[in-house]
Amino acid sequence: MKTKRLLALALVSVMLFAFMAACGGGDTSPEDSNPPGENTPSSNDTSAPPPSADSGDTTDIPRNEALYFNGFQWGPSVGWNAFSSNMNNPLAFEQTADGARLPMMETPYMYNFLDNKMYPLLADGGVDGYSFNADRTELTYTLKSAAKWNDGSAVTAHDAAFTWEASVNYLPDGYANWTPYIADVVAADDSTVVIKAVVENGKPVNANMMIQYLGERYILNKAWLEALIDRNGGDKDSIANDKGQDCVYSGAYGPFFMDDNKVILTRNDSYWGQDASMWGKLPAPKYIGNVLYESNAAGDSVFVVGEVDVSQNYIENSYKMWTEQGLPVSTYLADAPYHIAANMPTAYFNMNSPKVGLDDPIVRKAIAISVDYDMILANAMTNQSPSFKDVPRSLMNPSAAEQAMYNKADVAALQWVGNDIDGANAMLDAAGYAIGDSGYREKDGEKLSYKVSCPTGWSDWEAAMYVVAAAGEKIGIEMETYFTDWSVYQVTMTSASQTEFDIFMFSTQGNAPAQPYSRIRALLSSEFNNLDNNWTGNFGQYSNSEVDDILKLIPQETDAAKLREYYTKLVEIYLTEVPSFSLMYRPEKFHTVNESVWTGFTSSDDGRNVPPNNSISGYGIADLYNLTLVG
Amino acid sequence: MKNTLRQVFRPGKFLAGFIIFAFILLLTVLYPLFNPGDPLAMIGLNNFTKPGTYVSVYDSLNVNRTFVFKLPDAAEKRIGSKLFPEDRETIKDYLTRLGLPEDSIDIDDTHDLMALWWNNYDPANQIGKTIAERRAYTALDNKLAGIFVSEDLEVLQYDPGTDEYVRKKMVTENDYVNVGDVANTIWLPLGTDNFGADMLKKLVSAIGTSLLIGLIAGVVATMIGLLLGLLAGYLGGIADDVIMFFTNLFTVIPGFILLILISYSIDQSRRGATTVAIVIGLTSWVWTTRSVRAQVISLRNRDHVNLSKLSGHSLPRIVVGDILPYIASYVVMAFILQISSAILAEAGLSMLGLGPKTTDTATLGLVMEWSIMKSAAHISGAWWAYYPVIIVIALISFSLNLMNTGLDQIFNPQLRD
Repeated sequence: MKTKRLLALALVSVMLFAFMAACGGGDTSPEDSNPPGENTPSSNDTSAPPPSADSGDTTDIPRNEALYFNGFQWGPSVGWNAFSSNMNNPLAFEQTADGARLPMMETPYMYNFLDNKMYPLLADGGVDGYSFNADRTELTYTLKSAAKWNDGSAVTAHDAAFTWEASVNYLPDGYANWTPYIADVVAADDSTVVIKAVVENGKPVNANMMIQYLGERYILNKAWLEALIDRNGGDKDSIANDKGQDCVYSGAYGPFFMDDNKVILTRNDSYWGQDASMWGKLPAPKYIGNVLYESNAAGDSVFVVGEVDVSQNYIENSYKMWTEQGLPVSTYLADAPYHIAANMPTAYFNMNSPKVGLDDPIVRKAIAISVDYDMILANAMTNQSPSFKDVPRSLMNPSAAEQAMYNKADVAALQWVGNDIDGANAMLDAAGYAIGDSGYREKDGEKLSYKVSCPTGWSDWEAAMYVVAAAGEKIGIEMETYFTDWSVYQVTMTSASQTEFDIFMFSTQGNAPAQPYSRIRALLSSEFNNLDNNWTGNFGQYSNSEVDDILKLIPQETDAAKLREYYTKLVEIYLTEVPSFSLMYRPEKFHTVNESVWTGFTSSDDGRNVPPNNSISGYGIADLYNLTLVG
Repeated sequence: MKNTLRQVFRPGKFLAGFIIFAFILLLTVLYPLFNPGDPLAMIGLNNFTKPGTYVSVYDSLNVNRTFVFKLPDAAEKRIGSKLFPEDRETIKDYLTRLGLPEDSIDIDDTHDLMALWWNNYDPANQIGKTIAERRAYTALDNKLAGIFVSEDLEVLQYDPGTDEYVRKKMVTENDYVNVGDVANTIWLPLGTDNFGADMLKKLVSAIGTSLLIGLIAGVVATMIGLLLGLLAGYLGGIADDVIMFFTNLFTVIPGFILLILISYSIDQSRRGATTVAIVIGLTSWVWTTRSVRAQVISLRNRDHVNLSKLSGHSLPRIVVGDILPYIASYVVMAFILQISSAILAEAGLSMLGLGPKTTDTATLGLVMEWSIMKSAAHISGAWWAYYPVIIVIALISFSLNLMNTGLDQIFNPQLRD
């Protein structure tokens, strides 16, 4: 009897253990279409208690002194180490090309994706106030004399130079995103910073990437960085996992509270930006906080009642909140599409697939022109971005700046708006893909049959791929939807030799100073072929030497007419060869605000030219200085 | 047999449950006959369109026969459809904020109110405090433009040959067309869901699939439970110990957690409705086993069983012929409950994203998952996307439970009247 009981106990513990192990793996983020990396939570060091910063008491925060956000993150935050990309603390730190998060750490310039210009923050001078030398191999800017760290010491060029040096030497990836373009960052004197380009044939590899660096990467405190490296013995992993409680910052907000559910920053009332050379005052909210919700739907229901002020969630039919429910909710634009679209989620054809037909541009184009993009827009985006009728497809996103970069008339005949079933059938018939015994089109007795994939649970993407599959069936091509877990999906998608997916979906790059070049390169360049763990682009392994040649010429070209010619040629090739095709335009930042407590957020009709960048990123942080209480 | 049936249908509980269930079942059989086609077809380019009859604007303009009705309240209704009572309040608020004396504004006098609005509203002078407020005034002004216009409307058609617009017809405010003459109308009793699919059609198809899942899971669970219970109860000894060991093991682990684990370990592309049904069946046999065993133990030493043993009958014959008939009514009742709980389990699994794959079929759980978990139908105010599903799930399990208690009243000697 006793042994029986013991056996039962042992078996139950085994099952419980298995249960816990299985639950630990499911850490995907629904709706979050950003590739992991910056936001991936690290759970290496779970033994230490959660950092509580200055262990502020969050129950005491009056609602009218705090600005709350949601939709930034899915897992709990780890700490305050701005040097590490393992903190999963996007309220405080996020360094992206469309404008870094600036409440705590600051960049020399604030990027404004509305006008594609750089507004000075730590840097002195005017808009786009940096300077290049004659051959654009060196970029120089000076720092404001008023700029100070929270410990009172000045922000100097030595901080900027050491941030670069430490990043190259102590970041786990060795700063691989930047070292191909930037050779070094040096201090010419205490306040002058010089960025030196990687030079090829006497020209910079891509001078725009140096501009992008100004608005994307923080300047960190040299003394703090030295202490950080020192106390971790220079070990990259241990530096990345250091919680950085003592982080020295230059921004208007510092750590206040952190637990598994929320992160709160509090205003530093001695912030240097009160100086007349910068904002001239303090930002309005005393606290800013980001609360984690279980799902988009849970976050939305809190946003609706006004407990969250700024939501970065994609909210379906958000316009109903003000048109039908009369809530004080608004988006940047008053009418559809409501947001500034910057991204172009794209379906890639896998050139490595052994399936018959995918190597034929006619099949690829036939599939692409038969897709009902209006249906995708309606279902996956609830019409919150422009359609391909509004902005004809190319390699450019819908921003005016990018749209002006190619000759529309030259490629108009190649652009398609979709749902052209007859056209697609005619193309396939003419190319000899006849309907065979299987009921589907065949070539040499083998039917055209593809697997259409995206991560499971990403409902808007699933809806989009569902429409793609439906289009294939209409033109006699068998399509099987195959939605798989994100953890599996990402490994397959970034693998060079995968044959699992035939047509699969991923985002492109959005707004940045180095666009549209970076996005086009990521979509078309064969330099990413045969690389495993390739997160940059060309996931379908497309290769075209003519494209590669043009891509090499563009960054070194400064003549606008010549650039237009290159870009037009690339669009022409892209729309003819169709190695991939955009499914929709999509906002990078959803930026929906509830003005129950605060008002003064940016809107398209206020003439302030502040980008809708969640009120704390890039030049969008100007919002914080314009907020007033409603009540 | 006839007597048993009469007995079964006599108590109100069973009959009520049976009628509800039969109605739902009939709906799934008959509705597709009247409204054939793919229930998942995405017919709408908008998600969550509200219930109602939709008339093609294009076709209604193209209907040749028009009828003239001079209805006294037509103009009033037309204005009422644009100017709601709350809009009148908004106008009053705006005007008083501008400084107009409150008693000079009569919100019931539509013409005066609109005249005041058009005289005083200035798009350049935005007095709203928030973006939302300012935009609401602009939207109201746009909406009310031309509210009193009753001139005839001219319909022009573009002629690509001459690159001109040719006058086609005039439409007056008293023109009506018969809905029957309009080529394209569509009736959506429950609107559309997030995919733009006909909600009622999808719901009916989902009920069918969910009932099937319930049936398969119920059969699997009952068969396993019955077999193990009969063996354990009749054989006793080591066989009983071994079977009960596993049964107890599964009893202490919540079945739903096992279900989640098993579903999670099956890749989504392989999770069809049948697979999910079998998985549910495989995790919910425990209580059937326990109760069947208990009943069999009490039957095992009855005289007729011993007689059968002495006559040298084989084990299967004794079990099937002498024991099973005595517990058959209990097994049927357990089976009904299994169906009900399997439908609920599928709904629960699907809400967690572990249900059948979404693109093949609709199930009640999947419809709920898409409308509530993935598309926030609640925030869009689309009650039709989830309330009917919830009600149907409740009705199905309510009717099955009613039938179960009804049967219990007849077959349970302690409850029998």
